[in-house]
Amino acid sequence: MRHDFYLAWRYLRHHRTRTLILVLCLSLIAALPLGLHRVLDAGEYWMTRRAEATPLLVGARGSAVDLTLGALYFSEAGVPSIRMQEADRIAATGWADPLPIYARYRVQGQPLIGVTLDYFDFRGLVPAQGELPAILGDCVLGADVAERLGLGPGDTLASSSGNAFDLAGTYPLKLHVTGVLAKAHSPDDHAVFVDLQTAWIIEGLGHGHAETQAAPTQPDSPFGAATVRRADAGLLTYTEITPENLGSFHFHGDPATYPISAVIALPHDARSATLLRGRYLDDKSATEMIRPLDVTRGLLENIFRVGALFDGILLLVVAIAFLLVALVFALSLRLRQREIETIYLLGCARLAVMRLLFAEILLIALLAGAVCAAVLYTAAPHASDLARHFILS
Amino acid sequence: MPTFRILSLVIALVAAASAGGASAIGEHKLEIVASNYPLAYFAERLAGPWATVILPAPADVDPAYWRPDAKAVGAMQKADLILLNGADYEKWRAHVALPRLKTVDTSAGFRDRFIRIENAVVHSHGPAGQHSHEGIAYTTWLDFDQAAQQAEAVAKALIAKRPELKTAVLDALRSLQADLSGLDGEIKRIAAVKPNLPLMASHPVYQYLARRYGLNLKSVHWEPGEMPPEKEWTELDKTLAGHPAKTMLWEARPAAAIADKLGAKGVASAVFDPCANRPEAGDFLVIMKQNVENLRTSFQR
Ligand SMILES: [Zn+2]
Repeated sequence: MRHDFYLAWRYLRHHRTRTLILVLCLSLIAALPLGLHRVLDAGEYWMTRRAEATPLLVGARGSAVDLTLGALYFSEAGVPSIRMQEADRIAATGWADPLPIYARYRVQGQPLIGVTLDYFDFRGLVPAQGELPAILGDCVLGADVAERLGLGPGDTLASSSGNAFDLAGTYPLKLHVTGVLAKAHSPDDHAVFVDLQTAWIIEGLGHGHAETQAAPTQPDSPFGAATVRRADAGLLTYTEITPENLGSFHFHGDPATYPISAVIALPHDARSATLLRGRYLDDKSATEMIRPLDVTRGLLENIFRVGALFDGILLLVVAIAFLLVALVFALSLRLRQREIETIYLLGCARLAVMRLLFAEILLIALLAGAVCAAVLYTAAPHASDLARHFILS
Repeated sequence: MPTFRILSLVIALVAAASAGGASAIGEHKLEIVASNYPLAYFAERLAGPWATVILPAPADVDPAYWRPDAKAVGAMQKADLILLNGADYEKWRAHVALPRLKTVDTSAGFRDRFIRIENAVVHSHGPAGQHSHEGIAYTTWLDFDQAAQQAEAVAKALIAKRPELKTAVLDALRSLQADLSGLDGEIKRIAAVKPNLPLMASHPVYQYLARRYGLNLKSVHWEPGEMPPEKEWTELDKTLAGHPAKTMLWEARPAAAIADKLGAKGVASAVFDPCANRPEAGDFLVIMKQNVENLRTSFQR
């Protein structure tokens, strides 16, 4: 038996190219469906876990899929905005805690997410380095963003204007990185987080500007003489928030009317959830409440239908591939007619040839299996990235 | 036999661990941050031994003008409850990131009753045109009925955090509100004796006090330790001509020179301390009772 493998091995080594091609073909044919399933599983796990953790979501009436993808997975498409008062409305019912999210902008290609500090508690996000944002202009990076951009606490990051056609006045703001979040294996790893108020500064709803006149203002005097601080139209607003100019930053208008993308509602119990959902049944209202899990399930069903189709096609491909391999062997037997004859002349039984062939096939299968495992192993860490990429874009 | 011994050891360990865990939960005090002393006082009275109440503004600073730095914000973020006065008191609120779910705006319940300050700072910039940054009077707690509502908001937040403390908190709330309503009734009685008695205030912080108790109060903008310039004194004379006040209310005892100069004009100085920061001696109730006594003396003048 050992001799069979030895001979088979020598033979395979002698015909290196043929062996290599066979091993590669077989391993890839095996790796493809396995890898695809790995990606689908990762996507399912990743999406279901996220959706399960997010009981209710309120956003602009329209596509529930877009809303879920935008608010939970920070998809690039974005979501039409709603007003901050939606969060207050949920809080006022006393049935649920609201978590407003503003996912409109991107920074260096990564989603820039405006949240309240509660979001970090809710998702269990803790800084692996540094601290959570404290002051206007602070940001905290998801683990993958920090790695990709090579940034850490103390660095700065410029928010690029989200939309070139937005004349309302978004201007680049230098964000101070205060921390890097521990890896969460969720879309949070790919996001840059700022406080909602900082997101509104980027939007241009709030700003800071230098006092242009040395008017004798009495900042602590509500009844003091009315002072008019005039600023000309060419006034330069600050593009970086520092301890010195922080005091000059202010918001205009009622924050309740400020934009957000969605509100995650965390009902206190099942009864509260039902009551709250009842509040959103009106078809005429501009907002709607959805259960991300329902939406994700629907989405995954479609994905799995596509996956099943793929499986069917792959099965056919595998069958054809095996026929081709069989053909290769049959042809090589033809070519090896003289060699086989020599073996008989040396006094070997017919079975010996079969054993040799069997050893060859086994060796090739083993090699292909090893290559396939190696491919899957190296690809495994990227499964969730691939799932993210294919599902979200 | 060894199996049994190991088993009993495991049981003992588990029991010890769970007992330790239980006592740790029982001993974990609520950490409460209050943005001014009245709220800190309310929280201390309502939560009693179950909470540690922190007033982050330093003792020598009026919390209304205090601004937290990143470190102070970090500490606030870690607290279980952040009590805010609201009514534009926390000017730093828009500059820092705080967890909204842990933040309680104690004056939200009477938001529609806030006193807006006229002559607010106006400025203009860009094509948006002129706008004003309106101010809101913020010493809400000097209306003791409003103070009672703020105390109730604190109590509600405490109960939401620790439902098991409900009875204790509600008992404490009843006693606190009785004290506040005592102050309320007392000032009402004092003011009713001489309605429309003209009074001066050294600082514009008594808007709610004046509204609630019908005080006829006009305000200058003086600091207790700073001699006002001559122009201010002329303005005061003009005001006094049409508003013959015999008392000026001060946040703290004014410098002797100022008090003397006022006295020469027939205006006595009386302290009505808003008590926004922790007093050196006594507590909120002691200071307020003293304020009420000072006010009584003013009305007897
Ligand atoms: Zn402005």
